[in-house]
Amino acid sequence: MNPDAENAVTARQLLANALHLNVDELESDAAIGRTERWDSLAHMNLILALEQYLGRPLDTDTMLAIESLADITALLRSSE
Amino acid sequence: MSQWKPGQILQLETENYRLRSLTAADATDTYVSWWNDAEVQDGLGQKPRHWGRREALRHIGNFDNRQRFHLGIFPGEEALPIGFIAIFLESAGCAKTNTVIGNKAYWGRRVVLEVRARVLRFLFEDLRVFKVHGQVDGRNFASVFNYKAQGFTCEGVLRQHAVGPDGNRRDLLNFGLLREEWIAAQDQ
Repeated sequence: MNPDAENAVTARQLLANALHLNVDELESDAAIGRTERWDSLAHMNLILALEQYLGRPLDTDTMLAIESLADITALLRSSE
Repeated sequence: MSQWKPGQILQLETENYRLRSLTAADATDTYVSWWNDAEVQDGLGQKPRHWGRREALRHIGNFDNRQRFHLGIFPGEEALPIGFIAIFLESAGCAKTNTVIGNKAYWGRRVVLEVRARVLRFLFEDLRVFKVHGQVDGRNFASVFNYKAQGFTCEGVLRQHAVGPDGNRRDLLNFGLLREEWIAAQDQ
């Protein structure tokens, strides 16, 4: 699997876990305001999971930029 | 429109909650416990306060229902609140709010979004406030979510401006919502 595809899969898995969904239940355009289960607690779990996966705290600007599945994928790509 | 007059108890309602100015009678063990709970206070970037009823009474007494409001959040007809939302009217038509959900069973249940939406309507429509703003600990990701989901803009980051309960320095984030932005969102 190429790195981009791997990042996309990981991003889907991290977000699905935070939302308590199966990966195949997660829509590709998942985003704050569009995805019903993406609430405050899910968002907190998502950010903590991202920090754990990356092995470092997210800086504030990066944390603020996470609003969609695409943003998570982009973060993983930029963190390689 | 609310029937509230300055100095009177303020009462507002949402679909699932009642908001009412807290009084001395509301300084219960439950209310006091929120100020001493590590998880609840961490959301405020604070350590547990080690408060007793005296400190709680003093705090509630700081709110005059004119410029400063301390509204309990009551689910349905329940007598005990699950948290509170504080409102501070400031100069130049601005108001600051902060919200605490002390009952953890209600975390992640969109309480903040529901009750703050009603408070925003009170502030923008009844009091004709120009801008509502709030400040949040940069590690309080749930609160950051709520501000963004409600259309607030992060207007600035005060870098390493505070010390968190863990002893590490933390950013503080200022979020703001203008009346014109709130009106535009209502029209959508």
